[in-house]
Amino acid sequence: MPNTQRYVKTGGIGFAVGAFFLWNYPNLGIGAALLGGLVIAALCLLYSAPLPDMIKAGLIAGMFGAVMTIVYGTDKPGVAIIAGMLSGLGAGLLVFQRSPQANPKKAAILGAEAGAIAGAWTALALLLTAFVIAPAAGVDAGEFAEHLSETVIFADALGLGSDILILLFAFAFSTLSAAILGAAACAARSLPLRPNIPLLAVIALPVLLIPLIDRAGNLLLLDALIPIYIFILLALGLNIVVGYAGLLDLGYAAFFAIGAYTTAMLSSPHLGINLSFWLVIWVAAAVAAIAGLTLGAPTLPLRGDYLAIVTLGFGEIVPILFRSLGGGPPSGTLTLRFFGMPIGIEQVDLTGGNKGINPISPPHLPFIGDFEPSNKIPWYYLLIVIMGLAIFFINRLRDSRQGRAWMAMREDELAADAMGINVVRTKLLAFSMGAMFSGFGGAFYGAFIGAIFPSSFDFSVSIILLCMVILGGLGNMTGVIIGGLLIQGADKMFIPKGAELFRDIANERASATGSSTVGVSALQDLTQQRLLLFGIVLVVMMLVRPEGLLPNERRKAELHPDDDTINSNSVAAEAESDPSLAA
Amino acid sequence: MAPLLQARAITKRFGGLTAVSDVSFEIEKGSIVGLIGPNGAGKTTFFNMITGLYTPSDGDMIFDGKRINGTKPSEVTKLGIGRTFQNIRLFAHMTALENVLVGQHCRMNTGLLGTLFRTASMRAEEKAARQKAFELLEYVGLGRNSADEMAKNLPYGDQRRLEVARALATDPKLLLLDEPTAGMNPKETDALTALIYRVRDERELTVLLIEHDMKVVMGISERVTVLDRGIKISEGLPREVQTDPKVVEAYLGTGHAAKGKGGGAPVFDKA
Ligand SMILES: Nc1ncnc2c1ncn2[C@@H]1O[C@H](COP(=O)(O)OP(=O)(O)OP(=O)(O)O)[C@@H](O)[C@H]1O
Ligand SMILES: [Mg+2]
Repeated sequence: MPNTQRYVKTGGIGFAVGAFFLWNYPNLGIGAALLGGLVIAALCLLYSAPLPDMIKAGLIAGMFGAVMTIVYGTDKPGVAIIAGMLSGLGAGLLVFQRSPQANPKKAAILGAEAGAIAGAWTALALLLTAFVIAPAAGVDAGEFAEHLSETVIFADALGLGSDILILLFAFAFSTLSAAILGAAACAARSLPLRPNIPLLAVIALPVLLIPLIDRAGNLLLLDALIPIYIFILLALGLNIVVGYAGLLDLGYAAFFAIGAYTTAMLSSPHLGINLSFWLVIWVAAAVAAIAGLTLGAPTLPLRGDYLAIVTLGFGEIVPILFRSLGGGPPSGTLTLRFFGMPIGIEQVDLTGGNKGINPISPPHLPFIGDFEPSNKIPWYYLLIVIMGLAIFFINRLRDSRQGRAWMAMREDELAADAMGINVVRTKLLAFSMGAMFSGFGGAFYGAFIGAIFPSSFDFSVSIILLCMVILGGLGNMTGVIIGGLLIQGADKMFIPKGAELFRDIANERASATGSSTVGVSALQDLTQQRLLLFGIVLVVMMLVRPEGLLPNERRKAELHPDDDTINSNSVAAEAESDPSLAA
Repeated sequence: MAPLLQARAITKRFGGLTAVSDVSFEIEKGSIVGLIGPNGAGKTTFFNMITGLYTPSDGDMIFDGKRINGTKPSEVTKLGIGRTFQNIRLFAHMTALENVLVGQHCRMNTGLLGTLFRTASMRAEEKAARQKAFELLEYVGLGRNSADEMAKNLPYGDQRRLEVARALATDPKLLLLDEPTAGMNPKETDALTALIYRVRDERELTVLLIEHDMKVVMGISERVTVLDRGIKISEGLPREVQTDPKVVEAYLGTGHAAKGKGGGAPVFDKA
């Protein structure tokens, strides 16, 4: 019975998404509708289908590799290699999640099988791209082969002359690397270590290799990956506030803005202060943390909805403040009255108003010199270091006296108070720690983009961050990272790239049939529908799996009251309980 | 010797309702005192005034020579008052071990920097806290197996005991138990009664308990105080209280006894 229900539910979701595409992009016709709908419906069905875990994990993880290959593959077939590796890694981790193994050898075999399935799936997508999608987008076989040999690394070195051989090589490489990574990931997870260094190494390997493959294959993926990582860093900070301490914060982008503006003001020609990035990033984090305290203080007595509204207001005010702190007439004076005495303050253009601050100085290192906008590799590794440290320290916070106080407060504020936890201090600490990590994120963002504008920090940023935290699973860092990868991956890679691909295909069809290209402009809107898509994702998640993809065990139990195992006695006691403590 | 806790003409009003009215009351160090009364008598309200959840409308609450009216609950706990709740309020989605660790929060000193850099003193403190948490779980009769179980998944009796362990973890001088045996079967009740004795004798605590089970409260308490509709109507040795006509009247006259929440009429049969 529950299975039927699931099928109906998932089928319905797939149908809805398909209808959404069809309705928005009539010119694309059934093709696009099917693609969007099928991917989601297939994922959902796979998830609940009675298949062996190994096949299921491989197919689910492989789906992401396949989508990535399809959207990027037409001009950059080499992406299939990264996609294959990542999906193999994902499959290995997923299969362990579903059927944990104590024996590393068995785990390795299981992981290898799942990884191979994921890799093959990705490789199939590469073939599909080569023979169906690339031609449909107007890339003829010769051109595709050229892309392929350009981007499939080693192909030249191995002296693979024929295009088919290169394709086969790519196929084999994707499958093999996926299988190896899957096996390694699954085996590492079965080791009873804390901290599990081998597992970290297996995950770190592809993450650290990406820039090199990217460079070798000229894939230009880092342009999209770095902003994705920045958002994940921010979501990890937000997770402290919302996930651990249970304080719903709808204005988190404000701290991101504060970090970025602090960096911009202290490290650019704008105010003539040009401090080193390595100093400014700490200042930005500290300023953001102080701002967290400042916001936290007036909200202390508030809970739930009220807290959400106040934080939302704060999130709106901060960008407006930055907008109005600058950009006025250069010689304008602001007259304040202080005990009746007028005081003229020369209005300083602190923030550049709507135009923002531009340029912001990049970090500088010996040997590397200034980080160049054109070379993303140092930026990528710098961000990896920042994120690594953030994850490391947030983990420490969680497993400590402070972290336990946050969770106790989230569970039952009154009982936490009665157990000797200073609720005021605990809340403020959560706000300021959460803000601090977004301060780091903001500093990096400012330096990386090289310019900031108040419009980069509006409400939708806060909401997307919240989506990431909720999708992945409140209070679980791995979940938040996965949720972030999915949402940001969709936002910054799959949707814009997919839209581009659809546009090419539609253009191609239009020019082939000699009709006009009406559908094309509608297609460009695909990227603008992203918020709607996230909305749909959130609603669906709340219906189907409110605890997130990788739930924190605690949350999961909280959100599924039906399978609650609370003793019926205690429910009775609750009913009898005095009103006094219900407050 | 000065009493450990002293209530001086304590009153609590909620709008027009006077939940506790002009109650004066003392607890000697090292004693076990029972607080009884029909439903709605104001017992829990009295507890809440001791622990800082409510501020008394009138009168003074003196603990260990300090006036504690209006002191925040967390501060009161730090001064040395631990409590359990009538309707269990564990941190339901944390493990039993974590619940007890949270209880130790106010006795630990590691600050933010210590946590972030995992200093030697932090690690030592954390290790000691874990050690102590395991001991406390064992002490109240929860085996090591329960340590990693989520609090909400524990059987009801174990949840009550875990609450006691969590309260003990705050290192109290005075332990307040609000109906600790409510909902327990006779075997569990006996175990808990034994635990209360041990707590007093081995840990040199003072215990104040609200209890509806007359057999328990009359058996264990050295002194008993009776509240009815917010007013203290009787006080003394269990034997004296049981035969006090005012108490009989309060329990039989109000009809509460008929509901028989393990209390009421059995004052006479069981004790
Ligand atoms: N916060 C509050 N607001 C309003 N009325 C309250 C509040 N707390 C308690 N009361 C009232 O005060 C009276 C005493 O309640 P209290 O909970 O102290 O009784 P009790 O003796 O603990 O009863 P029980 O045996 O049922 O636990 C009741 O009438 C209750 O409704
Ligand atoms: Mg009560």
